[in-house]
Amino acid sequence: MEEMAVVDVSEERRRRRRAGDPRLSAEGREILARITTGDLADEFQAALDADVEADPILGGHPDDAA
Amino acid sequence: MIVVDEYLAVRVVGGRWPEGLPDDEDLVLPASRHWRLLQRIHAPGGGQLSRLLATLSPTDRDTIRYPHPEVLQIADPRPLLDEAAQIAARYGGTGWLTAETLAAGLTHGRALWFGTERNVGRLLQTAADDLGIAIHVVA
Repeated sequence: MEEMAVVDVSEERRRRRRAGDPRLSAEGREILARITTGDLADEFQAALDADVEADPILGGHPDDAA
Repeated sequence: MIVVDEYLAVRVVGGRWPEGLPDDEDLVLPASRHWRLLQRIHAPGGGQLSRLLATLSPTDRDTIRYPHPEVLQIADPRPLLDEAAQIAARYGGTGWLTAETLAAGLTHGRALWFGTERNVGRLLQTAADDLGIAIHVVA
C-alpha cells in the first residue's frame, strides 16, 4: 500500500504568509522595504499624515476631539 | 484575524515579516488604511517616494491594489460601520480612519498592531486605552 504524505496545512499557510506576495518582483520588494523601514520612511509617514489633514471625513476634526 | 496598519501591511506584502508579529492568523488591514495606501499609488505627490512608486511595474502595484488574500486581507468596512459611528460619537473628532481602526480592533481580539509608534496617533491611543484595546508596535 502506498504511503500518503502528511501535510501540515497551518504550517504551510504560515510559510506562505511570511513569504509575502509571490507576484512581487525583487525590485518591488526593495522599494517597499525602503518605504517602510528604509530611507523613505519619513516621507511615507508625512504622506500618510497629509491624507488625514487634507480630508476631514478620513482624519476627523481635531478641535472636536474629546 | 490580526489588525495591522499600513507599515506592517506593506512590509508583509514585501516578504519582510516583522519580528514579534504573530503569524498564526490572517492579517487584515482596515479599508480606510488601504485607502491611504491607494492614495500613494493613484495620487502621488512630487517627492522621491512618488517617483519611486511610479517605477513599480503594474504587477508590483497590484500587490498593493489587490493584496494576495493569503498574505493580507482588506477588512470589509460595512460590518464595522455602526461600531465605528458609535466610537466617533463617543470620542468626537476621530474621523473614519481612527473610528474604523478601533472598531476593527474591538471586533478582532481587542488588539491593534502598528509598524511604528508615529502611526498610532494620540486620539487612537487614548480611545484604545479606554476601550480595552491593546496597541502593539513591532519594528
